[in-house]
Amino acid sequence: MQLSGSARTAEEDFDYLFKIILIGDSNVGKTCVVQHFKSGVYTESRQNTIGVDFTVRSLEVDGKRVKMQVWDTAGQERFRTITQSYYRSAHAAIIAYDLTRRATFESVPHWIHEIEKYGAANLVIMLIGNKSDRWEERHVLFEEACTLAEKHGLLAVLETSAKESRNIDEVFVLMAKELIARNSLHLYGESALNSLPLDSSPVLVAQRPSEKTHCTC
Amino acid sequence: MNFLRGVMGGQSAGPQHTEAETIQKLCDRVASSTLLDDRRNAVRALKSLSKKYRLEVGIQAMEHLIHVLQTDRSDSEIIGYALDTLYNIISNDEEEEVDDVEGKRFEDLGSQFTEIFIKQQENVTLLLSLLEGKWRTSEFDFHVRWPGVKLLTSLLKQLGPQVQQIILVSPMGVSRLMDLLADSREVIRNDGVLLLQALTRSNGAIQKIVAFENAFERLLDIITEEGNSDGGIVVEDCLILLQNLLKNNNSNQNFFKEGSYIQRMKPWFEVGDENSGWSAQKVTNLHLMLQLVRVLVSPTNPPGATSSCQKAMFQCGLLQQLCTILMATGVPADILTETINTVSEVIRGCQVNQDYFASVNAPSNPPRPAIVVLLMSMVNERQPFVLRCAVLYCFQCFLYKNQKGQGEIVSTLLPSTIDAMGNSVSAGQLLCGGLFSTDSLSNWCAAVALAHALQENATQKEQLLRVQLATNIGNPPVSLLQQCTNILSQGDKINRRGSKIQTRVGLLMLLCTWLSNCPIAVTHFLHNSANVPFLTGQIAENLGEEEQLVQGLCALLLGISIYFNDNSLESYMKEKLKQLIEKRIGKENFIEKLGFISKHELYSRASQKPQPNFPSPEYMIFDHEFTKLVKELEGVITKAIYKSSEEDKKEEEVKKTLEQHDSIVTHYKNMIREQDLQLEELKQQVSTLKCQNEQLQTAVTQQVSQIQQHKDQYNLLKVQLGKENQHHGSQSDGAQMNGIQPEEIGRLREEIEELKSKQELLQSQLAEKDSLIENLVSELLQPSASAGDSEKVAELKEELATLKSQLNSQSVEITKLQTEKQELLQKTEAFAKSVPVQGEGETPAAANSTDVEGRLSALLQETKELKNEIKALSEERTAIKEQLDSSNSTIAILQNEKDKLELEITDSKKEQDDLLVLLADQDQKILSLKNKLKDLGHPVEEEDELESGDQEDEDDETEDGGKDQDQGYL
Repeated sequence: MQLSGSARTAEEDFDYLFKIILIGDSNVGKTCVVQHFKSGVYTESRQNTIGVDFTVRSLEVDGKRVKMQVWDTAGQERFRTITQSYYRSAHAAIIAYDLTRRATFESVPHWIHEIEKYGAANLVIMLIGNKSDRWEERHVLFEEACTLAEKHGLLAVLETSAKESRNIDEVFVLMAKELIARNSLHLYGESALNSLPLDSSPVLVAQRPSEKTHCTC
Repeated sequence: MNFLRGVMGGQSAGPQHTEAETIQKLCDRVASSTLLDDRRNAVRALKSLSKKYRLEVGIQAMEHLIHVLQTDRSDSEIIGYALDTLYNIISNDEEEEVDDVEGKRFEDLGSQFTEIFIKQQENVTLLLSLLEGKWRTSEFDFHVRWPGVKLLTSLLKQLGPQVQQIILVSPMGVSRLMDLLADSREVIRNDGVLLLQALTRSNGAIQKIVAFENAFERLLDIITEEGNSDGGIVVEDCLILLQNLLKNNNSNQNFFKEGSYIQRMKPWFEVGDENSGWSAQKVTNLHLMLQLVRVLVSPTNPPGATSSCQKAMFQCGLLQQLCTILMATGVPADILTETINTVSEVIRGCQVNQDYFASVNAPSNPPRPAIVVLLMSMVNERQPFVLRCAVLYCFQCFLYKNQKGQGEIVSTLLPSTIDAMGNSVSAGQLLCGGLFSTDSLSNWCAAVALAHALQENATQKEQLLRVQLATNIGNPPVSLLQQCTNILSQGDKINRRGSKIQTRVGLLMLLCTWLSNCPIAVTHFLHNSANVPFLTGQIAENLGEEEQLVQGLCALLLGISIYFNDNSLESYMKEKLKQLIEKRIGKENFIEKLGFISKHELYSRASQKPQPNFPSPEYMIFDHEFTKLVKELEGVITKAIYKSSEEDKKEEEVKKTLEQHDSIVTHYKNMIREQDLQLEELKQQVSTLKCQNEQLQTAVTQQVSQIQQHKDQYNLLKVQLGKENQHHGSQSDGAQMNGIQPEEIGRLREEIEELKSKQELLQSQLAEKDSLIENLVSELLQPSASAGDSEKVAELKEELATLKSQLNSQSVEITKLQTEKQELLQKTEAFAKSVPVQGEGETPAAANSTDVEGRLSALLQETKELKNEIKALSEERTAIKEQLDSSNSTIAILQNEKDKLELEITDSKKEQDDLLVLLADQDQKILSLKNKLKDLGHPVEEEDELESGDQEDEDDETEDGGKDQDQGYL
């Protein structure tokens, strides 16, 4: 019998596979961010995540096919022990806060601490302030988030909105680029150095924060 | 602990008393001794006693052993003994040989000790921390890890959910256990697999974490390392763990698929035709592998998940690999059965896979389609029951949501294709053979298989009505429908193997499926006048419990023939059939009988899963799809029976209007579709036109730029030519000529321009003269006319003269141009000739120099130089040639221009000729006028001559000046 074993679709091939955990307080919009990343649409869901949900999407970054496995965790306290188990094998973590609720921002250091405690040493951390569509209710300034990110040596801070499709893909592309860069370092050593951002200081990317704050005035 | 005392109470008699004391002493030593060696010996002693005196050691030593785990962590040996002892107390593994009653009690013992142990959650956390690989030496590590793994496994086996919960809430508990799979010592790795099996059993959260920790990757690696299905029990354990992780866990299934792990399953099934023996372990392994595939494509999974896995399995060649096993020889029956079941679920409802399956051929001679080969086994009573069920399932899955496949199967029964098939057996023939064989199992399977070919497919229901069967020689052919009802009514007379009910149930299910949603089939069915009396007879009879199901099915069939009746047969219109039920059976009775179907004990069993999975042939009664049909129809038939005729009519009307609406809607839909198509076409046209437009525009811009380039090149060449010619003095003539040419052209043009202007002047003069003539004429008529006329005549004369002279000069110029042209041509020729001559002239010179010089080296040097020179010269020559070519072309262009100019000149000549003729006429006229004037006695001559003399002077200066003068005078 004839076998068509060579018929592997492009979808199944990839150069990199990264595991990313998405953490943060309950109701900051983690699931919406992931859903938007996966399907490109915003779905308003009032359902709490149970435990951990798995999503995957393939990206093409700098000519490399990258499979991004995103593990969307439950923010609720009662799932904390379950979600903790996911830190160890993750390549990167995205901490999300709700920029209209200050408390969610204030617990960011706690999340960073959790990652430091349970996660791998070289885990890449990124901070996102979600719900930027509701800027008139803003309770966290972008500058504050930048200061915090710098203090803890995070990769970047972005203000996102799953509702208005703002910065969602950018978050994951930026993360993918950083992870590729770090992984290529191990693989190719010196040769890859020139093209990579090596300084450990965080890259601060906001969507024109000044412009946004000006808009509100 | 009271319950434990109760258990102990029965045993603590006589001889064991001393053992209890010993154990007590040992415990005291463990608790109080300050010397490590002492404590270690005591724990070792407890360990040796723990198997035999499990209860006693358990009760007395448990807390001391836990204390040792907490305090003596620095000594691996004592920790190892303590863990071993705890394992012996808690595990039931060793006691398996003990008789049932005893075993039961020990089982209780294990779970009770487990309960005590896990009461303090810290104990489990402590155990987890001991398992963590932070021990210095590997030997050290081994002493602790191995018994630790075994202990935790048996804790999980005893009280799974509770222990799982404790591990889940202890930070990183699950993640750390995953490290066991990476342990370099196989014993620990293998026991780690067993631990994870117990850990992941029916706990979704833990399953997810384990999957997240790369469990798939590691397990698949282990399976590959161990040699896939040829591997030992480790492979089996890994497969069970994989099944734990994937079964009913959609997230993990998705993860497995997205991680491209399906591709890694393909090599598992590369067992092919090799007859290298099938060990029991290999059969077990392969069985689990097949089940793992089925877990991913189970019909109970979410449809999207299953279909994406099915696609992946086809794309990576897994399905193809499974089909090779299917057609291979020497495969054990249960593997073959499970493979068939697996293939079934991989193709179920997936068009691509179904199409592929239809194309698979058995490697027989001549090749037969796999479907035919499988159906042969289904209707073969010598085949194992499970295999026949599997084939039926496979066939059902092949036809599930596969209209194409259904059509192909039914078509093998139709007259036209039967002839075409020739001698080879077709699927349809096999099904008919099964339907009418004397084996009730074959009857049932064939009936259900045929019903699946009709499922939700109105076209095939109508097609199947065309099937005719040749029964006995001499008898006319009977339709398949007729034959089915015949067997149903005469069934009792034929001697069959198996249960008669099975045959009848199978046929009734087929008929119900066939007639539902197909009024034409209902009409065909009712057309046989024997059918309705048979059905009513069956339903009305008061039969035993065994027959109740058949009665129910008959009621369903009758109900279907009422509900889907289009009233085309007068004797069996809806209303009449209803009346019949009321008279013969009674509505209530009929409904009760109808209800027998869904109340049957096997009904709910079959409705759960699509796979026909029966413990033994007697249970083979209901088909899954048929249970769906019953659910759908039971209600509507009941309603239809109770409804009055008026309601029926109303409904009929409503239906009709609905149909009308439907037709209108479909009309509009079609219109919209057409318009859509048109739109699409137009869009395409627009896009193609756009494309063309763009192409054309680019072509235009290209051409424009090309033209510009050519112009530039032309100019450049012109300039270069000029320069080149200055460089080469020897060819100065040609070069000068080339340089002059454009100037000449310019000059010629100017001249032409001048000529033209002169011509214009002449014409204007002519006009003037005409008017003059008129004046003269008028003067003639009026003798008292002024004397100015004579002046004009004189002017005209003068002008004539100038014109003549101009003409002459022009013709001279033309000839000059022609000669110049000739010269140019000659010069260019000469130039072309001079070039090669010059090139050759150098060579003898070089030869001379060689003669003169005596030294060889110098000669060589020189020849080299000369050669170089020659090369340079030849290069120059070619360059010059090129220049020549280009100059030739420019000459050609110039000639063209010249020709044009000549043409213009001849034109102007003609015009001048005309003018001359005119002038001559006018002269004559003037002359005659003069004569007339003379006759009249008017003096003309003198003044005229004076004026013309003046004019001649002015003409000698400049043309422009002359013009001005002319105007001034006039």
